[in-house]
Amino acid sequence: MSTELLKAVAASNEWWALGPEIILACAALGLLVLELVTPKAQHRFIPHAAGMALAVVLAGVALNFGKIWDGEELFGGLIRLSMPGQVARVFFLLSSLLVCFLATVCLPRARVPRVEFYHLLLVVTAALMLLAQSNHFVMFFVALETVTIGFYILVSYYRERASSLEAGLKYLVLGALSSAILLFGIVLLYGAVGRVEAGGVVHTGFEFGTVLTFLRENPGNFLATAGALLVIGGVAFKIGAFPFQIWVPDVYQGAPTPVTAFLAVSSKAAGFAVLLLLVHGAFAPLAGVLVPVLSLLAAATIIFGNLSALTQRNTKRLMGLSGVAHAGYLLIGVVASFTVPWAAGAVWFYLFTYLLASMAVFGVMAYVAGPDDSGEELDHYARLARERPFLGAVLAVGVGSLAGIPPLAGFMGKLLLFVAAFHAQLYGLLAVAVVGVVISIFYYFGWIKAAWFEIWTPPAAGTDSPARPLPAGPKWVGVAALALLTFATVLLGFFQAPLSGWLLPR
Amino acid sequence: MSDTLFIILSVLTVATALLVVLNKNAVNAAMFLLLSLVGLAGLFVLLDAPLLAFVLILVYAGAVVALFLFIIMLLDTTPGRFPAFKPMTIAASVLGAALLALGILSLSERAVLPLPPKAVAVPTMKNYAEQLFTTYLLPVQVVGFMLLIAMLGVIVLSKKYTPEETK
Repeated sequence: MSTELLKAVAASNEWWALGPEIILACAALGLLVLELVTPKAQHRFIPHAAGMALAVVLAGVALNFGKIWDGEELFGGLIRLSMPGQVARVFFLLSSLLVCFLATVCLPRARVPRVEFYHLLLVVTAALMLLAQSNHFVMFFVALETVTIGFYILVSYYRERASSLEAGLKYLVLGALSSAILLFGIVLLYGAVGRVEAGGVVHTGFEFGTVLTFLRENPGNFLATAGALLVIGGVAFKIGAFPFQIWVPDVYQGAPTPVTAFLAVSSKAAGFAVLLLLVHGAFAPLAGVLVPVLSLLAAATIIFGNLSALTQRNTKRLMGLSGVAHAGYLLIGVVASFTVPWAAGAVWFYLFTYLLASMAVFGVMAYVAGPDDSGEELDHYARLARERPFLGAVLAVGVGSLAGIPPLAGFMGKLLLFVAAFHAQLYGLLAVAVVGVVISIFYYFGWIKAAWFEIWTPPAAGTDSPARPLPAGPKWVGVAALALLTFATVLLGFFQAPLSGWLLPR
Repeated sequence: MSDTLFIILSVLTVATALLVVLNKNAVNAAMFLLLSLVGLAGLFVLLDAPLLAFVLILVYAGAVVALFLFIIMLLDTTPGRFPAFKPMTIAASVLGAALLALGILSLSERAVLPLPPKAVAVPTMKNYAEQLFTTYLLPVQVVGFMLLIAMLGVIVLSKKYTPEETK
């Protein structure tokens, strides 16, 4: 091995550019060390340490956001720094910070080890951030697998509950299937592209750039098209798009509430980050094939998600299946972004509003679930608004934003997506989406109704069921977090400039 | 010499693979699987892919078959009769065999294989190591974390949790 080659490699390995990911990984290891060296009585400070690490990294990324990343390739083309990558970093850090908060609410109630949860959370967050910036199929797959394996463990984290283990098993089997589909696609692309020598450097079909060049020069190559579609199929599993949504309700229901939130927000956003990366990067020449496929996926996903969510009484299943419908709306944005460049920004805007609203709703769910985490049916929300007005209000705003009621942020998110679709002349999809939104209002308002309007039920004779204990009131951190989320949701409904000026190019 | 070795190894691989399926005793079947994998590794060596052969022995023969044996021991399967095939199984097998035959037929009749390049460097351990520690250094690090969380997950999910002392 020559020293020149070593130097060349070392020059492109700019580790400092991956500072946030490296700090998170080190913090994750630090948590384990902290558990070993500190006395057991002080272990309850470890979750706060994890939260602090996330907050510090988030602040660091936000402060350095102004530095323009314009497609610099690092690590010999493994990583590509770009504006969407930075946005994804902020998104995943914010989401994980809120999951951290949910975990401090939920985990103490269950008989489970604590520290490992935060360790997994930090590692998965770092992998998510790498995933959104990958520029090479090896990096892509390794980061995706790290995320998926982390989720296998997190979903089955409540190991004393059969439902959690069942969810973990289902996610494992179907996740392995989707990984197989994805790998098969990657292998087909690799085989179709082969080895390309340019300027003495050998490129392979693992590199996004090489795949792009190959697809541009060989339109209609069957193997490569099939490979690209299989890769999209693997990504659609993460998103929960129609033919790959089968895992969603059971896994969401069985997983611990913080993990459900993490799955609903971060995992879905990761899918969309990757999808945008691929359809505008490596697979851009395949637009003729991808537009009809993704349009079909979007329409089927919206219809399936909304219709199946109609009859749900379990709130986690409701969030899961309505999340499928949200994935459908977002897919419309992805389709529109083929012709309307700013639609990708609209997708990210929607994801941010979805993050704020979902986390607020999951926060309320964490408090309503009660000491044994069992209260997740709609019936458990009865009289919530009277007994805990604050939680009721947060729920109403969060659910209203998810339903897309003006003037909340969710409405603006949907509006931006639909305007993008209109500009892209996707009238058919737009019609499906509007019908979907109307259906969604029914089940979302069923939830608000359960919390705000009392239904008089005749006391059944004989079955004198004991009254459910009052849901615990949130502590000041919880109040602050939920109030902040609600405030941001309302504020973004009126002033979009803070977010849109940042996501949408002027 | 190479041809003779190829024939010996192929016969070993196929014969033991058949014995895996036909054997009534699960432990013996696992042992034949081991032999079949050894034959396969030998074929890889003949193809100038020694690293692949080592990995096959290490991962499959070393880890996977050992895992099979553990599971056989845990489940305590007594050797029994073969249940009769269900119609669905037969249909699936026939379909699979037909597809395989079609693949082989089209490969031998119609495929135009590119000529093998004149000189290809035998991939050595050193070549792989160079790649792993230069080009793919970052994915290797990430894989390290992946293995760490996988190990941690096994411990978290299998160990009985004793609540820590409060106060």
